[in-house]
Amino acid sequence: MKLQSAPVTIIIALALLAVVAGGLALVGGLDIRKEKNPGDNELAKAAATAQPVTNCFESRETYSAVARTENVVPQYGYPNVKCSNTTSGVLWYGDPFDGTIPMGEMPKVADETQGDFVNAVVKPREPRLTYFNMGPDGCATCHNGTIVPFPKDKTPRLIGMHQDIVANSLQLMHGRGALWCLDCHSATNRNRLLDRRGNEITFNQPQRLCGSCHGEKYIDWREGIHGKRIGEWKTGGKKRWWVCTECHNPHTVQTIRFQPINPEPPPPLPRGMKIADYVRGDQSAH
Amino acid sequence: MSHKETDNSTKKDNATTSRRNFLKKIGIAGAAALMSDNASADVSAGSSNPDAEITASEWLQGHFVLMSDEEKKNAIGRLEKRYTAQYGKKTTVSDAPPLEGVLFGYALDISKCIGCRRCVHACVKENNQSRYNPVIQWIQVMKIPRGNFAFSAEKLNEGFPKSSAMGDYGVQVGGNAYAPVGGLSVEHADSYYPADEKVPDKNFFYVPVQCQQCEKPPCVKACPVRATFRDPNGVVLIDYNWCIGCRMCQLACPYQARHFNWGEPNLPAEEMNPKTHYFGNRPRMRGVMEKCTFCLQRTREGRNPACLEACPVGARKFGNLLDPDSDVRKILATKKVFRFKDEMSTYPKFFYYIG
Repeated sequence: MKLQSAPVTIIIALALLAVVAGGLALVGGLDIRKEKNPGDNELAKAAATAQPVTNCFESRETYSAVARTENVVPQYGYPNVKCSNTTSGVLWYGDPFDGTIPMGEMPKVADETQGDFVNAVVKPREPRLTYFNMGPDGCATCHNGTIVPFPKDKTPRLIGMHQDIVANSLQLMHGRGALWCLDCHSATNRNRLLDRRGNEITFNQPQRLCGSCHGEKYIDWREGIHGKRIGEWKTGGKKRWWVCTECHNPHTVQTIRFQPINPEPPPPLPRGMKIADYVRGDQSAH
Repeated sequence: MSHKETDNSTKKDNATTSRRNFLKKIGIAGAAALMSDNASADVSAGSSNPDAEITASEWLQGHFVLMSDEEKKNAIGRLEKRYTAQYGKKTTVSDAPPLEGVLFGYALDISKCIGCRRCVHACVKENNQSRYNPVIQWIQVMKIPRGNFAFSAEKLNEGFPKSSAMGDYGVQVGGNAYAPVGGLSVEHADSYYPADEKVPDKNFFYVPVQCQQCEKPPCVKACPVRATFRDPNGVVLIDYNWCIGCRMCQLACPYQARHFNWGEPNLPAEEMNPKTHYFGNRPRMRGVMEKCTFCLQRTREGRNPACLEACPVGARKFGNLLDPDSDVRKILATKKVFRFKDEMSTYPKFFYYIG
């Protein structure tokens, strides 16, 4: 009897399970408006109600960080930026001019490529530079001629510092071997850059240095074709311009032209679609 | 006999001429019923639906473009009151008029686009779309392999008419006959690439598609009630209150730019953007179409659209096509520009270029 009772109980339990499952299936089947992709909806719901991200970045991660500040535009209760919950990329600007300064004097060029610089503002680059902010005098805190002596000439040599920026100073990944640190950085004033004519340029205006070689892109940038700017769309309106180094890393452009990033989440598949690449999956006539 | 006939005909006349009035009466009666319902609901649940009269007058309101200033003011007031109560924050509904001497144009650099989908989600943050069930996004980003046409070159010599079991009727089989055209089916385009893969993939390019703001919009031709129309700035707009939800425009649009609110939109109050425009991003209701408006509530006040501000690589440019100094005009003058599905003769004001 004992040997028989076990299978009997199992059979009864299975039958019960089947009845319950059938009932559930029936309920599910009757609900014809049930969403086919509940997972996607759950994800979207979770993302929509999650806590806002406060540490964000604009174009380049770690190089263009921006912190979310609440209620910058009190009229609408806008924060300065809204960021992605998945990648922390800045998605939306409540105040496009938050934390900006005037672009500063831009040189006139002789041809017709006068930029729309009247109301141009930029985000200053200096507060975002790691080594620049290590001392009160910027880079000159160490590079003042005594703590670190000034180099005697511009001959390329192996340097023992700042290898997180440039791994090997003799193989700078910019200019295909033709450039070295002191071609762009001033030897005696480390808080400034140096263009080919010997003019000192602040870190906030890298376009004046980059443009001295990359003239074609510089013209496009001045014209408003290359590069990003936000704010007003009108010609002559107030715009925030992105400068070169907010998007491009001047020390690694040769190897890493663009650091691949993760995209924002995709939309849910349309109802009934099983796989996204339906063209490849289904070769029959449709 | 004759007396009876005349009686009948006058009755009929009355019936036809007063149909509108009759409907109005029904509407008001319904509203009255709602009001009484609400009065009791208000006591217990606060003011979830603050004003039942709003609903009645809203049902009876005409096309916004044809309204008098007084009617517009009332309509705006109704909406502001309702949205403010519904989302618990001060909401403004603007009816800023179109700008003088402006034709909006958009240019997008497909050689720069990295497919990060930030524009998609920026648009959702700005324009108060339904976040889930249904998920509505006005921009879709196509990921397309490099170097493929919409047909296969190897199959050009295939697919001649062959005889079949049906007889020699010249049924075309094989070849490029089944290569997809129409819709957004650029061959092998994938708008659903997952979030865990890195972009950009160097073997693909990325093409964001949104409303192309056509000069000859097929959706406007298809709309049976003229709820959708082209405004003087060249932007195709929808009066959500006048839309009957027939979805003819959705079928007419070759760009899949129009989206339908199949269910009651789900917009969390904390995500809601309280700065809205009547034709732009004010919260929609169930059963109406919606689409990109070039961020009307921003652009009519001089600011750039949200998708442009979100683009981390500066691939998007917006401006006045009538202004020769605008970014868009300079791009049209100096770059290689094309329009998506040019062969449809819709004359989009959304240009793709290679920078």
